[in-house]
Amino acid sequence: MKHANILGPLLVMIACICIAGLSDSRAEQISLNYRLKWLFNTSVAGDILAQEKGYFAAAGLVVTVKEGSPEKDAIKELELGYADFGVASADQVIRALEKGADVVVLAQIFQTNPMQWIYRDSQIQITRLSDLQGCRMGITYGGNDETIMKTLLAKAGLTLRDVQVTGVRFDFTPFLRKQVTLWPVYRNSQGVILAGQLAREGESVRFFNPADFGVDFVANSVVTSGKMAADHPDQIERFLSALLKAWEAAMDPANQDQVLAAVKKYDTGTQGDVQKAQLDATRNLVKPRPDIAVGRIQQAAWAQTEAIMLEQGLIRQPVDVTSRLSMHHVK
Amino acid sequence: MLFRRIYQFMIVYAVFLAILLAVKKGLSLSDYVIPGLPLILETAVQMSAGYLRDVMDTLSVTVLGQGISIFMAFFVGILGRKSSWAGSMIRVTAYNIQAYPIVALAPIIFILLGDGFLSRLLIASMICYFPLLLSVLGVMAAPVENIEHFYIATGRMRWQLEVKIRAFENLSKLTTVIAGSATLAMAGTIVAEFIAANAGIGYSIRIALYQSNLAAILTALFMIGIIISIYQGILETLGEMVKAKWGSENKEELL
Repeated sequence: MKHANILGPLLVMIACICIAGLSDSRAEQISLNYRLKWLFNTSVAGDILAQEKGYFAAAGLVVTVKEGSPEKDAIKELELGYADFGVASADQVIRALEKGADVVVLAQIFQTNPMQWIYRDSQIQITRLSDLQGCRMGITYGGNDETIMKTLLAKAGLTLRDVQVTGVRFDFTPFLRKQVTLWPVYRNSQGVILAGQLAREGESVRFFNPADFGVDFVANSVVTSGKMAADHPDQIERFLSALLKAWEAAMDPANQDQVLAAVKKYDTGTQGDVQKAQLDATRNLVKPRPDIAVGRIQQAAWAQTEAIMLEQGLIRQPVDVTSRLSMHHVK
Repeated sequence: MLFRRIYQFMIVYAVFLAILLAVKKGLSLSDYVIPGLPLILETAVQMSAGYLRDVMDTLSVTVLGQGISIFMAFFVGILGRKSSWAGSMIRVTAYNIQAYPIVALAPIIFILLGDGFLSRLLIASMICYFPLLLSVLGVMAAPVENIEHFYIATGRMRWQLEVKIRAFENLSKLTTVIAGSATLAMAGTIVAEFIAANAGIGYSIRIALYQSNLAAILTALFMIGIIISIYQGILETLGEMVKAKWGSENKEELL
């Protein structure tokens, strides 16, 4: 009887402690929005893995990872409060800084820009930039590839007048019909598909990588707003640490099956063998060497990107982009 | 009418811009998200000459595309006005073609016709044609019984006369729809240029979008608005003239 009297209040107390504990852990969960630059596919394998394998959850974060598109600009969303973190290309960051946006770069996902040109082995050999003279090439007017190609040509003492330019559209017909020799592609997505298609036809291809000729135009990076960086450094630390751990895991060949399974959930339209090849290509661009940490920011490449944009009149004044690189997150 | 069209557009554009600038001010947004007035004006000064040329290029395709779609709409509308099996088949085919989203058909169009003038023309016509067709079918399929009865009873009814009677009785509706479809033809051309052309204002907007240049996009929208207002104003004026002339001529003939 005496025991029964004690047991009741004891159970109530235990229940209260459990509920309090639960609500505490819920209070610690922070909800964040993360806007990607492009659609879900293998080139965002690390972002998908962070979500799918609980990297964000382990850091006490509830992150909504949102697909991107040409119309969705992560930097604008940061400013409007629709996103807390985002992925933006270097040229977006530099243009935004010129127009007064308060943006901070936290990590550089691609160590090599995936924007490259595909060409058939049998049609051309590019060993020097002067080999581009007279070449028929595709260019997206207003796109990064136009900026990069102009820089490459300038390095060889050429201009767009010294080559035959075809405006790029969304299908590859001009390249497949051999009307154009060099065609811009994202090396780890379209590049893989085109290379596979041509391999089946018995044709071998190569990729013209501007970085091999000294043009390091930075691609996608993780960004946040200056306000977020100032007000919530702890959240940034937790988010970035979880994200980069996931990216490291995603780029580890040992985890390949797990990564592909996670990507498949989001990108159901791409075949498994294509995704595997895309993952291999992404690995080379994100973690080209085992000693390079995922997310490493290449300050010199950022400075070069700004210099190129300034030279080509894409920005009217220097923005000192290197002062907006948060270098301490990735060693 | 032309002048009214222009100043009405100016009012709408000014209100739209004022709302944007109020949002910018209210939320303290940078010029990257919403450009300030000085940046918009500076961009307009730099880009307007080029954009005007682009809009005129787009307009030339628009006018041609609209002409084709008017012809097509009347052709299909006249053929499909009968409640026969063939008429019904023509209507169903016309409706089904329109049901496919243009962005899904665009790759096929570009593969077959390339990314030049013909693709732009075809897409502009396709987008403009369907609303026109609906109106033309509506007009052509509805008998004007009190007039047609007389010709049928006297055995003088021919298909040309039937079409003429129905068009004349609905002249006001038809001219309004034709003038209104100009905006659709323009939108269709811009969509085609945006997807995959190498010329026109849609193509320029795509470049501005790549460069996150909202000031340039606002300049382009202004140019499009002004030119389409003028074009529509001209069409409406022409419509009034046709109504006045054709109406009086045909009234005499029919009476």
